[in-house]
Amino acid sequence: MTYHDRNISRRDMVKATGLGAAVATTAVAAPKAAKAVAAPGHQAQYAMVIDVRKCIGCQACTIACKTEYEVPLGKHRSWVEAVEKGTYPDVSRSFRPRLCNQCSEPACVPVCPADATWKRDEDGVVVINKDDCIACGRCVEACPYDARFLNPVGGKADKCDFCLHRVEQGLVPSCVNTCQGKARVFGDLNDPESEVSKLVADHPVTVLLQETGTKPNVYYIDADHADPADARFAGQYVRVDTNRPVEERR
Amino acid sequence: MLDRRSLLKIGAAAPAVAVSGGVLNQVRALPISGGKDFSPITGMERKAIPSACWQCVTRCPSISYVEDGRLVKIEGQPNSIRTHGVMCSKGQAGVNQYSDPDRILHPMRRVGPRGSGQWKRISWDEALEELTGRLQKLRDDGTPEKFMFHYGRMKASHSKLINTFLANYGTASKGNHTAICEAAKWTGQELTWGKHYDNWDFDNTRFVLNFGSNVLEAHTNHVPSAHRLIARITDHNVRLVTFDVRLSNTAAKSSEWVPVVPGTDRAVVLAMCNVIMSEDLYKGDGEEFLKYCKVTANNAATVEEKVAALKTHLAEYTPEWAEGVSGVPAGKIAEIAREVAMAKPACIISYRGAVASYHGADTERAVQMLAAITGNIDQPGGRCKAVGASWKYPKGPKDKPKARKLKIADGLPGAAKLPTHHVSHQVLKMIKDGSHGRPDVYMSYCYTAVYANGDVQENIDILKDESLIPFSVNVNPYYDESAALADLILPDTPFTERWGWEDMVSPAQIPEYYIRQPAVKPLGECRDFADVCIDMAERMGFPLGYKSHEEFVQASCEMTPAVKAAGGFEYMKANGVYHDPAAKPAFYSYKKVLSPEKYQKETVVKDPQTGTYWDWKKAKLESAEEALAKGYLKTKGSYKAYVGVEVDGQVLSGFKPDKVNLSGLFEIYSDVMKDADLPAMPSWTAIPEYEAKKPEDLILTTYKHAAQIHSRSANCKYLTEVFHDNPAWLNPETAKTKGIADGDAIKVISASGELLTTARVTPAIVPGAIAIAHHCGHWEYGRYASGKKAPLVEADEADADRIWWTSKGAHPNWIIGNRADPISGQLRFMDTVVKVEKA
Repeated sequence: MTYHDRNISRRDMVKATGLGAAVATTAVAAPKAAKAVAAPGHQAQYAMVIDVRKCIGCQACTIACKTEYEVPLGKHRSWVEAVEKGTYPDVSRSFRPRLCNQCSEPACVPVCPADATWKRDEDGVVVINKDDCIACGRCVEACPYDARFLNPVGGKADKCDFCLHRVEQGLVPSCVNTCQGKARVFGDLNDPESEVSKLVADHPVTVLLQETGTKPNVYYIDADHADPADARFAGQYVRVDTNRPVEERR
Repeated sequence: MLDRRSLLKIGAAAPAVAVSGGVLNQVRALPISGGKDFSPITGMERKAIPSACWQCVTRCPSISYVEDGRLVKIEGQPNSIRTHGVMCSKGQAGVNQYSDPDRILHPMRRVGPRGSGQWKRISWDEALEELTGRLQKLRDDGTPEKFMFHYGRMKASHSKLINTFLANYGTASKGNHTAICEAAKWTGQELTWGKHYDNWDFDNTRFVLNFGSNVLEAHTNHVPSAHRLIARITDHNVRLVTFDVRLSNTAAKSSEWVPVVPGTDRAVVLAMCNVIMSEDLYKGDGEEFLKYCKVTANNAATVEEKVAALKTHLAEYTPEWAEGVSGVPAGKIAEIAREVAMAKPACIISYRGAVASYHGADTERAVQMLAAITGNIDQPGGRCKAVGASWKYPKGPKDKPKARKLKIADGLPGAAKLPTHHVSHQVLKMIKDGSHGRPDVYMSYCYTAVYANGDVQENIDILKDESLIPFSVNVNPYYDESAALADLILPDTPFTERWGWEDMVSPAQIPEYYIRQPAVKPLGECRDFADVCIDMAERMGFPLGYKSHEEFVQASCEMTPAVKAAGGFEYMKANGVYHDPAAKPAFYSYKKVLSPEKYQKETVVKDPQTGTYWDWKKAKLESAEEALAKGYLKTKGSYKAYVGVEVDGQVLSGFKPDKVNLSGLFEIYSDVMKDADLPAMPSWTAIPEYEAKKPEDLILTTYKHAAQIHSRSANCKYLTEVFHDNPAWLNPETAKTKGIADGDAIKVISASGELLTTARVTPAIVPGAIAIAHHCGHWEYGRYASGKKAPLVEADEADADRIWWTSKGAHPNWIIGNRADPISGQLRFMDTVVKVEKA
């Protein structure tokens, strides 16, 4: 958990440099200070459960995210993949919305030479301090999910942060708000009463690339993880479409 | 950056959260949906303006978010009973309609040859002086009909206001676009239950049977219907069975996808009706509903006689017969027929996949018949009569000239026998034909006639020809394929900068009133065309009585009782939507018993043949005697004088007719069809082109993708980033016979021409068919759609240099003829016979 330690020191550093007066008088200081001494059980872990049965592939989430952040063409904080497979007439198409997994063991954090990205103690969201980011792209390479990119506007590393600017104002992330099927459910996994906790408890769920040990906090119900590169599907029709320019899926 | 912005944000919203960490945690634990948005950069709250989407005809209530005077975000309206606050990708991308750098911001006059792309910027005064000068002359000459107005989407307050202008000017030469949409469906409904539009009550249904609707991707009431359907099938285990040529996303989400040969859904529906009648599965709700149906020439037939007539008519349409036509196994047809008959209630739905083909209107009638005999008409969980807002509005000047019209809206002679929604795709053909006159001024509004209709080359040739169309005006926020062929372009506002009141159908069966407000002032010199109409009327000396569209909306809010009671215009501006919280969902409208004063009036007679009560005075007849002598069915336009219909000795409101002389019963047997030498009962009629089709030929079908609107969204960068290429779908078996592999370049050849595209070889389509999506292959419409900058445009946007996709796809309409369903005039988008070969 070294990045958690670094995380705290980063916050301390930010507080100490130039913003001290503001911090001292705002609410944000109180919970952060409290969290630093709070028992780990009281920390939130924001998470998303995506019930793929309810996803109709409408791409509203993709566009809601694009407009919320004016994400430049060619880059995505959130996107949707379609997995089509089978033999006529037994054919299926299943959708898989994608976003940063806000991993509990994020591969992107330890590689940052500038200490510009960390997993927040108070809610488990992996964030980037763009002022400190040196745009080396190591985190982009390190992420096994291809969830990060260097934003052509500003040149810094970027990715989904669960719409923290909305969440901290009591709103759900923009993609969740617009989802026609209410397939995307957001909440605190450390709160056993939350909808996400109940969904994870009550359903068989999957995460992406579990074998990498990143411990994602985005869970899928009923996702089709078929991959044409997988030897199990050799000789069978499996096609994964995405709305991104990236041909090779990660 | 993040910490800084968190600080800024929390600082700004201090009263809400600055109490304690506990409060903050509580806020976090209960995040709410919608109604607010904040800037991710500054943390400041964005200004929220309740409004309405206009990307597609569904027109969902929305909220526009403005930051620094710029529209940055659109979300759903959480208080809408239609959408419950969710929104689709197209609605979300409404901001792109506003921010498109290729918007036309000033009036433009052609300077080079028509279509050469040479323009000069002119002032509004110059533009309207020239235009109203020409219009005034036509009016003064007594030929106002030579001003033709051809529109694509024009709804609610826009429709009322613009039509008021046209009526007061004196032209009825109007073209619409419905025949490229779903005219067959509307005609089919008008022939069975009167006024068109079927609402699907998914909230209360137990089973959904779908013929050719891609409701989860498109549809005229997309979000209100789609979000209900997906909730129903996932949360309530409702089965959805979809008959479609290809695995649409709707088919993919269905419990079962049943592939069907394009254009043959009607055979399946008839066979299902056969099973239900021959196995007596109509008993119960279906039998009860037959009381309200007309099934034979005799309107007073008993239920037993109706059952016998149905059994006789349907006897030949066995599942085995239908298998031969549609390719659907007979056993599957029988199994689903039994399922739909046993499910109480079942919602039977249909759309373009089933009706945009030969005799498509009869397919809709067959679907109506299936819903009727299973007792699933206008009741909870079924296929219901539409419910929408009833606005009152200023009607304009009392004394209008008698409007004159060129009879060019209903297609070539003989093209369609009952074109109740006209034959818009043949308007240009009619202009070329010239036998019914030609307009001197042709104005198109929200309509890309060149691109959206079939026979693209012919459309271009006609619109380019100044001897056929002397003066062509295009009203448009964008430089699309039709604008490129105009003489004068009037810059319209996108919906993001307009006023309007809206009335689209509510799947809650409770009317929803809502308005559209501009998020920002119009960019450049753009003007809402409704405001331009008010201006033109002033200039020509027949003022409409209001100064702006805003004033029209305001007056309507104060005139409409329900809205007025809620607080009128001010309430609507603040809240955007209104519905009566005490209202109950409306079902069974046909069962309403009429009070005697409604039909015992002096001017009302009962037609002995049909049992219809009608008002002879409203039908412009002289007396009751004349009405009785002529008869309801033989009196032109008598449907407008309909009062009610007698059923079992009671006079009921029945199925009120619209556009044709319907008896007021639910007409499975149609006198109107019979009189037009068309099948009186829903029937199979062989598709002539299929009869002549060679075994190696394929059937071309088209579809819409979830992230595009039919023809007016390719300029939205975020949508086109998602969907910009449309390789043609081919089943592996079909591709193999032609030596075509996935990704191969192919040539598709029809009677109308040839199209080069690529192949997507996929088992997600029925063998023998080829499917090509709409939306793609633009050659104008700005940089994001076509790669071409619009003329005279100075605006730029960094994203225009980040376009990463290299193919813009192929447009199928180059090879789809403007062929009409001989009943309704519907463009046959789904049954073009083609040859396909490796290119």
